[in-house]
Amino acid sequence: MNARRFSPWMGWRSAPLAIFGIALLILIGGIGVIYQSNAIYARARVEQTQSFADILAASAAAAVDFDDRTAAQQAADAYRVNNQIRMIGIYDREGRLIAGYDRSGTPVPASIARISAAGENEIRVSSPITQAGQHIGIVYLDVDKDVRFRAIARYLVLFGMFLLAALVVATLGLAQTQLRRANRALEDRAEALAESNELLAEQMEERAKAEEQLRQSQKMQALGQLTGGIAHDFNNLLTVIQGSADMLCRPDLAEAKRIRFAQAIVQAATNAASLTSQLLAFARRQPLKPEQIDVNALIREMEDLIARTVGERIRVETELNAESSRIEVDRAQLQSAILNIASNARDAMPAGGVLTISTSSNVREDGTKMVEIGIADTGMGMDPETADRIFEPFFTTKVMGKGTGLGLSQVYGFASQSGGDVRVESNPGKGSKLTLVLPCVETEGAVADGPRVSVASDQPAASILVVEDNEEVGAFAETLLSELGHQVTRASSGEEALDLARARRFDVVLSDVVMPGMGGLKLAQILDREQPELPVVLATGYSQEITESGSGGRPVILKPYRLATLSEALASAMQGART
Amino acid sequence: MLWRTGLQACLGAIALTLCAPAIGETTDVAVKAAFLPRFARYVTWPAGATPKGGDPFVLCVIGSDPFGSMLDQAAASQVIDGRRIIVRRLDSAAGANVCQVAFVDGSRSEPAGQLIAALGHAPVLTVTDAANGGQRGIIHFAVVNGRVRFFIDQQAAAQRGLTISSRLLALALGVKQ
Repeated sequence: MNARRFSPWMGWRSAPLAIFGIALLILIGGIGVIYQSNAIYARARVEQTQSFADILAASAAAAVDFDDRTAAQQAADAYRVNNQIRMIGIYDREGRLIAGYDRSGTPVPASIARISAAGENEIRVSSPITQAGQHIGIVYLDVDKDVRFRAIARYLVLFGMFLLAALVVATLGLAQTQLRRANRALEDRAEALAESNELLAEQMEERAKAEEQLRQSQKMQALGQLTGGIAHDFNNLLTVIQGSADMLCRPDLAEAKRIRFAQAIVQAATNAASLTSQLLAFARRQPLKPEQIDVNALIREMEDLIARTVGERIRVETELNAESSRIEVDRAQLQSAILNIASNARDAMPAGGVLTISTSSNVREDGTKMVEIGIADTGMGMDPETADRIFEPFFTTKVMGKGTGLGLSQVYGFASQSGGDVRVESNPGKGSKLTLVLPCVETEGAVADGPRVSVASDQPAASILVVEDNEEVGAFAETLLSELGHQVTRASSGEEALDLARARRFDVVLSDVVMPGMGGLKLAQILDREQPELPVVLATGYSQEITESGSGGRPVILKPYRLATLSEALASAMQGART
Repeated sequence: MLWRTGLQACLGAIALTLCAPAIGETTDVAVKAAFLPRFARYVTWPAGATPKGGDPFVLCVIGSDPFGSMLDQAAASQVIDGRRIIVRRLDSAAGANVCQVAFVDGSRSEPAGQLIAALGHAPVLTVTDAANGGQRGIIHFAVVNGRVRFFIDQQAAAQRGLTISSRLLALALGVKQ
């Protein structure tokens, strides 16, 4: 980082230095060239002057030799055209002036001895006059050292060149510096971008982690709430059951008290069963018994029940506008869901109000026709946080013991399992509206308009194979069925049951669904093949298999089952097999 | 013409002083004596006509001698390509073949023209003086405006195989091609 900052700084500083250096070099070079050219010029000038003198010496040789001053003067005068020549003096052997001239008009020295030293601004050359090896005389010639304006011009040209070069170098240097600075700015920006990008990626990662942790903690919280809720409710029920059972164990108990305690146990167990049923409904593992129902008709039937549930201070209104209101759902679950929502609406309107139940038709995005069942209250409403959580199991706004917190989670589980959805609209202080959205059915089917007619309980004794891996449940079932006068044979696994069924003839088989090894469904399938006339009744607490693939048309009873339910199911199965 | 000019000048000089013509004449002779050894420097002789080895140049005066010791002094002061110049005085053209330069003044018995003819085509630079008559050698002295000048006969020089430097030709009053 430091090195990175340091090096551009150096570049920024060294660029003008380099420019200055190059300009200096050019200047020195220019001076050198001028000096050199001056030296060359001076040398050339001396040489040229010398050659002038030599030529003059040669041409004036005879004139000097024969003392022909006129001819010598003519020879000298020929050089007057050259205005750089200041003085010409032609002297004989004895040093006497023969001919010559001075440009300035001053007389030419009459003898060699009188010639003064050459001036600073003149070049003086001499050339001896010889002929046939004989020294005849000498020629002196003075010229201007330089033509001033030419020298100035030369200096000017060189100076101009220097300026031009310096300008070019300066421009290049400046451009280079600008480029480097721009590059550095770009680099810095890229670096900053990379840094912020890295930071962003880190933040995103941290956020994802935090979200994951939040989800995990929410899950744990929900799990804790669920576990705590179940434990609380079951403890209450178990307290009743245990206490009643303890009382029943006391000797000399009055008959009336015995019946009361027994009924308390039955009631508590019923409540517990309803509790587990709701839990399973939320878990969407409640085996449903779908049937075709007209929603409008169902709500009309339920109006009295709802009115009784919500109490006198709340008026119930219906707006049944759905055109095609036929759906295929579990009737009991739908009724339960409507009642759950209604009771929540009641609790939201402690001072009374209006409960509006409406139905309407709608079409989902995928084209499926839907029925919407809206239940609206004019109560206190909910804030968005509460609205988000109302479907969580055991989430409740009511005081401990007033609600289980499972009501609306049953609604949610039921709606999801039935291929629908549930919507919440709520404004604090203005009431809430929950809307169940369920898919319509097009095909006309038998519309059940009430609970099935129960089968008569008095039935002939039958031979029943009970398949149950749990010893207690198996023993309980055997006790119950024996009590009803049936002949019961027990098997503790699917394999054992198959062996027994092959060896003996039974009137009906009651099998648990979930067992180690061969399960109830598999057993039923094999028995169907081998003995199609032998009816099989399945019993289950919950079974994913049945929820997913159904029971294959076989009757299913739900655990915990009661005596009446069990005998009805078995009687119905045997009756079906006979007909 | 020249002679008459000289005469007129002499007459003018007589009018002023008796000595004047004599002095002028003496000066011209001295100048001519000084010139004579110098001509050799501007002349190229044919091969074989130049002195052998370190031999000096030979300057001959054929016939009468107007110069006397003046010529000897002038010759002694000159060097031609490192050679001395010696003066020989001859009565006739006989023996003139050793001469490189010959001043032919002529005599009563043998006039200049005759003497020059006697030299035939020998490579000798013949010099005559207008003061002695119209006979001309290769170089012919004349006094113009009081100054000793000369004519050059290049044709005659060529006949004798001599080449005369253009520098000397440039000084001549006239050159006969």
